[in-house]
Amino acid sequence: MKDIILKTNHLTKKYKDFTALDHVSITINKGDIYGLIGRNGAGKTTLMKVITTLTNPTSGEFELFGEGGQTLTENKRRIGCLIENPSFFPSLTAYENLKYYAIQKGIVNLEQIKESLKLVGLEDAKNKKFKNFSLGMKQRLGIAFAILDHPDFIILDEPINGLDPIGISDLRETFKKLNEEKNITILISSHILSELYAVASRFCIIENGHVIKELSKEELDIECSKCIVIQTDNIKKTAAILEKEFNTTNYKVIDKKEIRLYEFLNQTSKISKALTKNDINILGLYETGITLEEYFKSVIKEEN
Amino acid sequence: MLNMIKSDFYRILKGKAIYIALFIIIGLSLVSVIGLTPGHIGMTSMSNSTIDINDAEFMEKLSEANSLKDIRDLMKSSGGYELDQAVLGTNMNLYYIFIVVVVIVLCTDFSNKSIKNTLSSAISRNKYYWSKAILIFLICTFLVLFNNYFFYFTNLFVNGRNFSSSISDIFKTTIIQLPLIYGIISLLICFAFLFKKTASFNTISIPFIIIVQLIVLGITNLFRIKADWFYQYEIQNALGNLANSPTNQYILNCTLLGIFYLILFNIIGYFVFRRTEIK
Repeated sequence: MKDIILKTNHLTKKYKDFTALDHVSITINKGDIYGLIGRNGAGKTTLMKVITTLTNPTSGEFELFGEGGQTLTENKRRIGCLIENPSFFPSLTAYENLKYYAIQKGIVNLEQIKESLKLVGLEDAKNKKFKNFSLGMKQRLGIAFAILDHPDFIILDEPINGLDPIGISDLRETFKKLNEEKNITILISSHILSELYAVASRFCIIENGHVIKELSKEELDIECSKCIVIQTDNIKKTAAILEKEFNTTNYKVIDKKEIRLYEFLNQTSKISKALTKNDINILGLYETGITLEEYFKSVIKEEN
Repeated sequence: MLNMIKSDFYRILKGKAIYIALFIIIGLSLVSVIGLTPGHIGMTSMSNSTIDINDAEFMEKLSEANSLKDIRDLMKSSGGYELDQAVLGTNMNLYYIFIVVVVIVLCTDFSNKSIKNTLSSAISRNKYYWSKAILIFLICTFLVLFNNYFFYFTNLFVNGRNFSSSISDIFKTTIIQLPLIYGIISLLICFAFLFKKTASFNTISIPFIIIVQLIVLGITNLFRIKADWFYQYEIQNALGNLANSPTNQYILNCTLLGIFYLILFNIIGYFVFRRTEIK
């Protein structure tokens, strides 16, 4: 059984009449890169703010490292965060800003500052004041801060905002490296699904404060891959026919009325004949294959 | 908590504000040393503690003096008085220095939103509140001691014994003023946690003392209310009175008032902060 890093239990956050989070229950295991996807205002940042105790939940609870999240003390140092825009002291340099937090976290080895700056490609700008940084550099410093104390769990809210394509690619590699080599668990949010897809191993789609889908990368691949959608009134019998007459198990039962077949593409008429021959009432039969963005849109549309 | 205090010290010493505050204290002290009169801010600070000379003709000449040199010459001819105690009586001037301290220790963190970094991955709100409060008290105590003793030694060196009290008297006045000073600092800490951003905090805290005095003055004049009790324990007057041979009962009352303010404003500040959403 995998170690659980974060477990939320019906977390709800209300602002007067507006519900920003509505009974959110998710689990993040050790070693996951957990992608939180949602439109602007969906509740991603609010969820991260609750987890990092920047705001109190209206109801519900959460556990971090098996400890009550809101009473976290020593384990707080095991978290690295970048919530919303990177915020530092404008008149201090990149190095001084990180040194401030290094002292605050009780980091004795100041080489860790250089190490973090190097990892995000800011070693040459270490003596530059934060107020003179570009948006991309600020973002990188935010990430350097998040990884400063060799945390076990990193929470990154829209970390690729303002980065150029090369910067995005570099960061993607950094996240993967941190995850693979140091076994750091990462919670990362974005509204750009393709970017999250390139880095995350599990996904959570959030809309209007609700978690509408939690799935692994493999499951997402299946959801998005080319397939034949077969909608019938007897799924059990349909599955049996596919196995018997087409000798395949490469299908997935979606619900009581739908099966997705990932083979025999362009052979819909053959499938149709086989089902009709066996007295199956076909409700729908078509080929499909959607991009990640289309999938995201369809899930959101379904929710709304 | 200690790490938090250490990191803030590192940041504050890297900035200019604390050095500017020290220069202002030095500048104000030198003006008072040269002019042989204490400076004052606000409406009620010219208490009987500031210049203890009961000669109407002399006071008139003093008010007509045009330059610092004229004032100095006049004051020298007076034969002398305890200028250092009079300056300690106007320690309410430090209120504006305390505002600077609260801004650099606390409001900057809210204004730059760097508080998010600390609260999300370093320490709890409880430790954050108390480490910030302790640091503000430490720096302000240092500034009070620096103000009082820098003035004492400079005055002694420049103006001699005729215008000085003793080092033990300065110590005694400093100690009996501290509870009220801590009360004022607690009020500022409370304001900082209530209003958070530097601009809002400054808008409220800078005119606060004068506004309170104006309101009370207006009410007492309008309704012809006798408000001696208020003026006696109004902070600016009380600090002045504590530097002017107060009775033990008055010292005790002022100490209790200071402790009351300290507890009250810290409780309010703490509970407001516990419920605050960090944006």
